[in-house]
Amino acid sequence: MVELKNVEVFYKDSGVDALRDVNIRINDGEFVFIVGDSGAGKSTLLKLLTNELLPTKGRVFVNGYNLSKLKKSKVPKFRRSIGMVFQDFRLIPDMTVFENVAFVLRITDKAKKYIRQRVPYVLNLVRLADRAKSYPSQLSGGERQRVGIARAFATDPGIIIADEPTGNIDPRLSYEIVELLLDINKCGTTVIMVTHEHDLVQYFGGRVINLKDGEIFFDGSIPMGGKSDEME
Amino acid sequence: MRWSNFTFLVKKGVHSVWYNRLMSFASFCVLLVSLLLVGLSALAGANINVVLDYVEDRNEVLVFTDGDLLQTETAEISEALMSSVYTTRTGVNFYSKEEAWVDFKQENPDADLIYERMDFNPMPNTFIVTISDLTKISDAVRDFQQIDGVQKVSAPHDFAEFLIGIRNTLTIIGGAIILALVVVCLVIIYNSSRASVFARRQEINIMKYVGATNSFVKIPFFIEGLFIGILAGIASWGLTQVAYTSIISLFGNDVTLWRALDLANLIEFKRISWIVLAANCLAGSLLSGTGIIMSMGKHLKV
Repeated sequence: MVELKNVEVFYKDSGVDALRDVNIRINDGEFVFIVGDSGAGKSTLLKLLTNELLPTKGRVFVNGYNLSKLKKSKVPKFRRSIGMVFQDFRLIPDMTVFENVAFVLRITDKAKKYIRQRVPYVLNLVRLADRAKSYPSQLSGGERQRVGIARAFATDPGIIIADEPTGNIDPRLSYEIVELLLDINKCGTTVIMVTHEHDLVQYFGGRVINLKDGEIFFDGSIPMGGKSDEME
Repeated sequence: MRWSNFTFLVKKGVHSVWYNRLMSFASFCVLLVSLLLVGLSALAGANINVVLDYVEDRNEVLVFTDGDLLQTETAEISEALMSSVYTTRTGVNFYSKEEAWVDFKQENPDADLIYERMDFNPMPNTFIVTISDLTKISDAVRDFQQIDGVQKVSAPHDFAEFLIGIRNTLTIIGGAIILALVVVCLVIIYNSSRASVFARRQEINIMKYVGATNSFVKIPFFIEGLFIGILAGIASWGLTQVAYTSIISLFGNDVTLWRALDLANLIEFKRISWIVLAANCLAGSLLSGTGIIMSMGKHLKV
């Protein structure tokens, strides 16, 4: 579960109120789109959820961790409980597809035998089993993002946070990526996807949180293929 | 941590050396030059010490005894000299008045007539004493003069002070040069490590984002540093050997200079080869490994 209670973030350096009195609750197993224009506070919200940033006021709970009070030494353990998908893929360039996915399992000190079983399984899920020995530089944008999703899902996390996962890939493949995330969501994993592609959100529908100038402008469900004025 | 995961990190470290070969090569070159400079300077310093030790060892104090001493009295003086804190047991040699008289006559053959008319031996019995610590020569002279039966002690104070001055100056200059080289090398190595780590900051970021602890991220980078350091250590050892033996052979070609400075005592490389190799590899790997780890600091704060 993800919960933000009366969260405020104020950047002292720039004097910007990035988030103001934000209250969000995302239950286990939900799929949520977070949308908003540039400067709306999407990145700040993500930084809060990954413990890259602490709120100026309020409290943030993710997967049972109170991030406002999380000790530095506990941050790695917390991050292993979530899966991150990045806009720029962030794959380790000198590791093969298999090694990139296996890496997160090594971090959690999983046995060799488990890694040999789990990695092919998740690569198969993202339909990249045949590219296991390829390096990231040998893959297309869409394939790289699928590796990113496989890596995020490899540890079977409770939550996957996807930061503009379709931002760097062919628009035609964007739908495929979201479908992949929806498949993972069907397995019971909570998925939070940040995007600015309104068409994509309207196509798939579901719960949408729209941020505007650091505040929640809209938090509700829209039908698949539907449109909502609050989305604009 | 499981053994399989640890070996993976070690392999990754070694693999990264090749994958990031341009930066690895830059770090390797910096280390190579640094180790070569420091190594050759240290060897030069060691050789200067050897030469000075040798010259100092030949510095002798002459202890003259009273004219007619019994053999037992001479033996007592000898024992007193040998047990002095300023000498070693092997550093006391007796030079009898008879030997001295024969040598004197041989060295001054023109005065034969005088020698024939002399019915006594004017030379004293002498002990030639090597002082273990040249800086204590004045104390030694004072100590020897207290021994019963000793008439006079002759010591080359000026020469001793000259040698002490040379050693002190060379120690200070040599130490300062080596220290400066070490500092310069550390700065260069640190900067090259920073550049290398900066180029791969995203990799560190990724590892942190997916939940790696700082030590987990550091291990492959440290291994990479160790590996480059060892390679640079081996290469610098080879180059040091070539440079050192070439310099030594330059001295060897000039026999006069060799004899004048008694350079036969210079350290042969094969005698210290393993020490140089071990020191270079150890210094190279530690400098490189810790340099990389220190440079990672701010990139780990994610």
